Amino acid sequence: MKPVRFDYKRPTTIEEACGLLASDDNARILAGGQSLIPMLSMRLSRPSLLIDIAHIPELTAFVETETHIEIGTMVRQAVAQKSKLVKTHIPLLAKALGHVGHPPTRARGTVGGSVAHADPSAEIALVAATLGAEITYRVDGADEIFDASNFFIGPMLTIAPPTGCLTQLSFAKAPAVCGTGFHEVAPRKSDYALASAAAQINFAAGSGVTSIHLGIGSVGDFPERLDVDQLCGTPLDDAAIADAIHAAMQVVETVEDLHATAAYRKRVATELAIRALRDARDEISKDLNQ
Amino acid sequence: MTEQKYKFLSTPRRPVEDRRFVAGRGKFIADFDRPNMLHVAPLASHYAAAAINGIDASAALAMPGVVDVITGAELAAAVQPLMNGLNTPNVRRFPLAVDRVRYAGEWVCAVVAESRALAEDALEKIIVDATPQPFILDAETALLDTSAPVHPEHGSNLLLDRKFVWGPVDDDFDAAAYSLSFSVTWGRNSTVPIETFGVLAEWNGWDQMLDIWASIQMPKYADQIARSLDLPGNAIRVHYDVDVGGSYGVKRGIKHSVLVGYIARKLGCPVRLIEDRLENMRAGDAHGPERKFDITIAFDQDGTVRSMKMRALDNAGAYAGRAPFQLGKPISAIVGPYQINSVAYHALSVTTNKTVQEAVRGFGQAPTNYAIETAMDRVAEYLGMDRLALRQKNLIRKDQFPYLIPSGSYYDSGDYHAVIDKVLTAADYPAMLAERDRLRDAGMMAGIGIAACLEPSGGNSSFEPLLNQSNQTSTWMESCQVNIDALGMVTARIHTTSSGQGHETLVSTILGEVMQIDPELIRITRPNSLESLPGNSPVGSRMAIMLGGAAARAGEKLKAKIMAIAVHRLGVAIDQLRYEGGDVLANDGRRFTWDEMVELAHRQYHNLPDGMDPGLASFDIMQVPTGDALPVDHKVQMYPCYSFEFHLLLVSFDPIIGRPDIHSYVIGHDCGTVINPAIVSGMTYGGIAHGIGAALFEEFAYDTNGQLLTQSFLDYLMPSSHEVPAIQIVKHCTPSPHTVFGQKGSGESGYLGAPAAVSGAINDAVSGLGIHFEKLPIRMSTISDAIAAKTS
Ligand SMILES: Cc1cc2nc3c(=O)[nH]c(=O)nc-3n(C[C@H](O)[C@H](O)[C@H](O)COP(=O)(O)OP(=O)(O)OC[C@H]3O[C@@H](n4cnc5c(N)ncnc54)[C@H](O)[C@@H]3O)c2cc1C
Repeated sequence: MKPVRFDYKRPTTIEEACGLLASDDNARILAGGQSLIPMLSMRLSRPSLLIDIAHIPELTAFVETETHIEIGTMVRQAVAQKSKLVKTHIPLLAKALGHVGHPPTRARGTVGGSVAHADPSAEIALVAATLGAEITYRVDGADEIFDASNFFIGPMLTIAPPTGCLTQLSFAKAPAVCGTGFHEVAPRKSDYALASAAAQINFAAGSGVTSIHLGIGSVGDFPERLDVDQLCGTPLDDAAIADAIHAAMQVVETVEDLHATAAYRKRVATELAIRALRDARDEISKDLNQ
Repeated sequence: MTEQKYKFLSTPRRPVEDRRFVAGRGKFIADFDRPNMLHVAPLASHYAAAAINGIDASAALAMPGVVDVITGAELAAAVQPLMNGLNTPNVRRFPLAVDRVRYAGEWVCAVVAESRALAEDALEKIIVDATPQPFILDAETALLDTSAPVHPEHGSNLLLDRKFVWGPVDDDFDAAAYSLSFSVTWGRNSTVPIETFGVLAEWNGWDQMLDIWASIQMPKYADQIARSLDLPGNAIRVHYDVDVGGSYGVKRGIKHSVLVGYIARKLGCPVRLIEDRLENMRAGDAHGPERKFDITIAFDQDGTVRSMKMRALDNAGAYAGRAPFQLGKPISAIVGPYQINSVAYHALSVTTNKTVQEAVRGFGQAPTNYAIETAMDRVAEYLGMDRLALRQKNLIRKDQFPYLIPSGSYYDSGDYHAVIDKVLTAADYPAMLAERDRLRDAGMMAGIGIAACLEPSGGNSSFEPLLNQSNQTSTWMESCQVNIDALGMVTARIHTTSSGQGHETLVSTILGEVMQIDPELIRITRPNSLESLPGNSPVGSRMAIMLGGAAARAGEKLKAKIMAIAVHRLGVAIDQLRYEGGDVLANDGRRFTWDEMVELAHRQYHNLPDGMDPGLASFDIMQVPTGDALPVDHKVQMYPCYSFEFHLLLVSFDPIIGRPDIHSYVIGHDCGTVINPAIVSGMTYGGIAHGIGAALFEEFAYDTNGQLLTQSFLDYLMPSSHEVPAIQIVKHCTPSPHTVFGQKGSGESGYLGAPAAVSGAINDAVSGLGIHFEKLPIRMSTISDAIAAKTS
């Protein structure tokens, strides 16, 4: 378990990092290293050049705009977890971050690294896909922006440009009244989940529920959104939620491995999606009743 | 109860080893470095079975920093095959595959290079010409005549096929009102220490000496290396002052050691091999038992269990080693803590194309306990009887000890009913039942797990002669040396490595107790094997009994010498003298002090009794208590001491998610006199954690191509502190009549019953649905799928 020999560079600007990426077909970006280092040790990844982006100040920025929260790719998961901005404006992400690995892996692992890595059970990727976050890559000196809801296309596979450097994730701020729910199931606390579900219901005074975001992860090759738009404008009772989710789950294909059968993943993802959506609904009811 | 009986024994004292470990000052194998040391990386087979037609290492050898590439053919010509426990001379095992590979991951050849990284680079350049062959993964399949043997020269896959009948089995079955049959399977798991195995060998040609430092826990390790390398026994010097980072049986890297020993001699350089995690998991040859039990049990309407037929089929993996003996130890407690009158036992061990087995905590006892306890639950279910009451009815009673079980062992002592009563009180059993019912009413699946079992300890390996008639072993001695120096300080020597058992604490506490000296002042050293007396390393839960026993006896010998000097010095009869805190007091008030005694023994020969040797040193080589005979009529006394444990826990889970949550866990534990309470509790907590792993998480699972699926901690799941609940230990003490202080073994405690108890709890939770989970580990997906199949 020793990596193949590689070069190591530590740029201090995005431009420099992109230049290095362009200089070597077999270069790889190193962020928190929590996924990449084990892959190097197992020789599953064999880059000739590692570009450590931990020393590029712009990539650790948090920016609040009128409508969005922009999170620099190198923001550590532990930092995001403690961030007031995240708690206030991206409550679904705040809920999910506690499920990402363990305190030591969150201390190093980054928000962007998780998205770039695209593990099918990555919580951050699930939240990004569910909420349709914007993913920004710097390619050839220009920014390219991707919609997270169709960014993930397979296990560890995205539509990101191979020579690009992810720079930030941008999440729309949640409205003043909104409800969220996040559930996952893993054999042990903080293992890669066997099934996970994220839900957010946006609400506006006067018009009621304006949108419902629901996604499931860990059960297939990538996180997926479930279309339950028909629930908008309904009272969101338990039976309606269950019916809508059962219907949406019918087309979802689930995978099987040592730890769980495909049937298990489907059954449990369905249940977790129901629980997540109910939690979101109940949060709104609580808010409105206060 | 026995509060004032001992000064240091059984008192809460911090283990002496803790200081260096907590401060990060342990010295583990990776901390040993020698000038010009070379590193080894083995090449793993991709195939579960293949013929090796040729190995082309020329490109690897041409790489800078690469020193040598060793093949199985080279090794087989130079070293003797590794030892087998059974009489299976044609199941030949060498450190590297010879002519064919027999499991995925098996070492095909080994690169020697200036660094481990360079060695791994070179591995990628080696071209192995191999022809894949059919392979067998399943033990029942391996038994079939139509299955090709893993070792064609051996003629079949059978390593062991022994049928024992102890007592009137047929009569008891005829007389019993009912019988029932079931099968359960213990999944392949192990102890997986954080520190993998490692060994460093250095050959000195001028001294003709092979020095070995290793992360080892193995009986007769030096002897086995000497035999394989055709070296005299006194040309191997194993250094025991290496801290071992966890083992519980598996740190027996004999193949690694013979390999690096050979390379060190061949190249004349120090050579080190430390397994990485992949090697440890797939080719460390350290998997534990994988065992299928077919059980038929005979019982009466009132719950009396009369007789049991047990067929135990073990999947030993690709080579024999010592693993089949793990079907032997359980013979010594084959009826568990119960009065079962007769037993038929069919023990089978077969070769398959899986990783080789090694000894694991309990040496086969935990799987057998799981089978016996499942039988008790099944009988209760069949009769509609309370599971606890059924056990209480069949337990051996306090007044029946020593109790002879059908297979020939006497259980020394115990009070099982008292331990259980204490646990029921401590756990508030009625409240636990109420909580289970409350959880069920709330829509959860909830169950209570119960397991009662024994820990045979301190034995002399009598399963060896029992299962292999050519083996005449009737001792499994242990020894200790003690010296009082000219300044009056006490130093004891022990002759083994330790992997967390706290042997330094054990020996200093016991010597302190015997000599009435503060254990903190006693130094414990670990010389190398050539400066050691015979011993058998810490296996079979034996060191409190055997090393503790030898230390106590060596101490008593010194005390006897001190008393003899005092008699001479004070000129009074020995019955007028009293040993007290190192001094000797006469009834007339005179005091012969420790310092005077040391002065006499070390400097004043003229003041010693006639004919007495100078100095103050002693040693003891202790024979296993009760272990003096070979088997007769397929029966033998295997272990002197039997510790008892009783587990009680409450589990619940959501019927859809199926993830067991252990609410409360209480264990009653009786290991006789406790030497150091912190060490015994630590063993028990860890044992239960390990048992929870075996019940719910841990498995070396293979895919249909014979590839190991769980090669790292990503997939081989061990319980973390989140999955292990707070554990309450309820202590009880029934001293053993066979040991110096009444101590019994505790090194396997917790693990021996936890898998049975956790499985019982989950099965209780689904009992209303008519589901039985019959294989460990019980994964959450299995639970949920079974419930879904019953309820949809
Ligand atoms: C014990 C353990 C448990 C874990 N449990 C979980 C879990 O439960 N859930 C979970 O989601 N994750 C888990 N992880 C993974 C962890 O969250 C990783 O941190 C994360 O997947 C990757 O982030 P990183 O910053 O460490 O990226 P790295 O490991 O450095 O990189 C991962 C990949 O992303 C690429 N990459 C990283 N940053 C960029 C960028 N800016 N632009 C382009 N490519 C980039 C790298 O080149 C590499 O291919 C666990 C890890 C460990 C060790």
